[in-house]
Amino acid sequence: MRMKSLLLMGGLGLWLGLGVRPAQAQRVLLRADVAEDTTRTRSGPNRAYFGHLYLGYAPVVGRASGPGAELRFGRSGELQVGVRNKFRLTQTLALGADLRYARLVYHLEQNDQKIVPTTTRYERERLTLSQLQGEAFVRLNAGRRGNAVGRYLDLLGWGGWVLGSAHYYQEPASAGAKKRKVTERGLGYMSRWPYGVGARLGSGRLAVVGRYRLSNTFVGEAKNRYPELPRWTVGLELGWF
Amino acid sequence: MRLNAAKYFSPQAQARRQRQHLPAADSSDFPVRPDYVRQVQALTDTVTFVSRWFNAIACQATPAQVAALRQLPGVRAVAIREAIDLAPASRAEPGKPGEQDLTAADRQLARRQTASLGAAAFKSAGLTGRGLRIAIFDVGFLGVDRHPAFQHIIQNKQIVATHNFVREHTSVFASGRHGTEVLSCIAGVLPDGTNLGLAPQAEFLLARTERLYRELYVEEEAWLAAVEWADRNGADIINSSLGYTNRRYFPEQMNGRTSLVARAAELAARKGILVVNAAGNDGDDEEWHTVGTPADGDSVLAVGGLDPDTYLHIDFSSYGPAAGRLKPNVAAFGTVLAAAPGGGYVRTQGTSFSSPLVAGFAACAWQQNRKLSVMELFAKIQESANLYPYYDYAHGYGAPQARFFVNNAGKSGPETSTPSFDFVRQDSLLAVVIRPEAATEPVRTLPLYADSVVAVTPATSAGNVPAVGREEPVRTSAGDAPPTETLADPAPLPPTHPDYLYWHLANAKGMLRSYEVRDVTQRAVLRIALRRLQPGDVVRVHYRGYTQSYSLP
Repeated sequence: MRMKSLLLMGGLGLWLGLGVRPAQAQRVLLRADVAEDTTRTRSGPNRAYFGHLYLGYAPVVGRASGPGAELRFGRSGELQVGVRNKFRLTQTLALGADLRYARLVYHLEQNDQKIVPTTTRYERERLTLSQLQGEAFVRLNAGRRGNAVGRYLDLLGWGGWVLGSAHYYQEPASAGAKKRKVTERGLGYMSRWPYGVGARLGSGRLAVVGRYRLSNTFVGEAKNRYPELPRWTVGLELGWF
Repeated sequence: MRLNAAKYFSPQAQARRQRQHLPAADSSDFPVRPDYVRQVQALTDTVTFVSRWFNAIACQATPAQVAALRQLPGVRAVAIREAIDLAPASRAEPGKPGEQDLTAADRQLARRQTASLGAAAFKSAGLTGRGLRIAIFDVGFLGVDRHPAFQHIIQNKQIVATHNFVREHTSVFASGRHGTEVLSCIAGVLPDGTNLGLAPQAEFLLARTERLYRELYVEEEAWLAAVEWADRNGADIINSSLGYTNRRYFPEQMNGRTSLVARAAELAARKGILVVNAAGNDGDDEEWHTVGTPADGDSVLAVGGLDPDTYLHIDFSSYGPAAGRLKPNVAAFGTVLAAAPGGGYVRTQGTSFSSPLVAGFAACAWQQNRKLSVMELFAKIQESANLYPYYDYAHGYGAPQARFFVNNAGKSGPETSTPSFDFVRQDSLLAVVIRPEAATEPVRTLPLYADSVVAVTPATSAGNVPAVGREEPVRTSAGDAPPTETLADPAPLPPTHPDYLYWHLANAKGMLRSYEVRDVTQRAVLRIALRRLQPGDVVRVHYRGYTQSYSLP
């Protein structure tokens, strides 16, 4: 024990004799830890896993299955915000899963034939479905590339749960009365479990996506009373990465 | 196959092979069998390039044609590459003529970009690159034929050949400012006679291999076509201020064997051509960080960038290693003054400009001793660098120094530097203590006349430097300010390399675990806990030209 103390004191003496001060006194201008700098990442656009946010908007296209449910095209569409997860299997094949919030809005044309959801004509009228959707896809990539998303075709299947449904209408102003805006929520005649298939063609951040809804819009007795609303949406997605 | 080398190769190409004791031609120089080429031509839409070196044919083909190609006799493999997207036939660049009136700070930067490599030594020895032929691969050389910085080159007919491999014609002066700036860092001259590079009297082969706004694999084929063309036309040195990174490859593929251009560059070295390539501008890109290709090639001299303010690694310069090999090999200024199309000059940043500074250096070194083989020259350029034998993955061996070739005639020898520090092993520490005689600030003798201004490097964020080959000029207030304003700057730049302490920790194979640069403010400059070291590890320290190693048994 005493020997150790002497050694410590001797070491301290040598230390002070050399004038050694704590290394903090030195200004480090450049420092690199090679192992840290060269750690291989497993995450990236063309790595084993890639996750990113995305934003999409897809107008409703096509026509209803019968008269009485004409839509205002251009205004009717689905806005999506979600997170995409891609798992690369090979350079040309990947699997993926999305989770997103989607807000589908059908702006109803006000004409004499209108029957959805009533025959009453308003100044404005729309059906809105707020959904939580999941989507699985198989991605086929084209061309050689490095750590980039590249060009791809996704074949996808999706399903969702309607968080909330709403029927909004605005009655025109009449003499002495203000405009009346009404929102009915929890529409029992609309399906709560939509699902469908689709395809996406993309390059880098940008993709064109088309989805076809296999499920019916209306359920129960309403399914027979109303024509089916257009099943297609076709739009753009922008990846955020 | 037979090849008449005397007929196929230019006299300069033949002389290069003779000097380096290489065969007049080897099997990689033989043409692809004409019947093979005819078969491919008959089966496909267009044959775009026939490579002797790789015994390969590049063509455009449909999937059905590809299937048929695979069945042809003599076809070993078919590698699918991106289809050739046609870029616009001509895309005029925005007019950025550069500054006609140079500030004193600009002139000082111009002088220091070559002085940092020892330009005065080469000049006093009359080494100007004369007799050397340098091929430059770039996006174009806009206005080189009209710019006063290149007047001597045009007048003396030093541009011996040009080829546009993107458009398949010989015009290279119509688009692409990057090549103009790069060429000026080898052979450009300011109106006052200041050289922007080290080899103003070299001969040049100018090749356009890059598209302005696209990154396609076909550019690599153009690079390969250009390197075969340069070989045939007698190039001694190739400067390639280009690099391909994450849009085509992964960092782990930077091994010198994966990309077409890296393999082509390796073949060029085997044929006696020194390939000098920019390390890359991805040092501050967390996703890439390392050198691009073809800088990853083992026989490619990869050049990193130095900050003219500090003489240290400039932030954007890509780091090594590449597949365990030292990269970059050497370094030079990453901020330079260069000639810009339109007759002016610009400050610009990127390892694209470090590379031609070293290419010009290599030309002078080779002019000094034409008997050197390409890999001997490669090794001696590394040996001449100011940190050698110390190295790290930011600076390589540091900035090459002309005095090594002029004073020692490029002869290797034992380390003669005066010891400047000692290792002191203590109980659980290894300390580095600077010797008292090396702990004095050198007295500087004033010259009769000196620059009374300071150069101010751009305040532009280094993080904004685009990829190699796509750099843009730097606009700075310093550059625009009148000279009188710069006089008042309180922080003059160091005229020479400051005395930093460099140290690294390497394993038994020489692979670095860590490295550091310290500003020296006290003699007891470094202490390392011995527990950090593993058996076989080496601590190597460099200070004031002296390098010493401490090995743990």
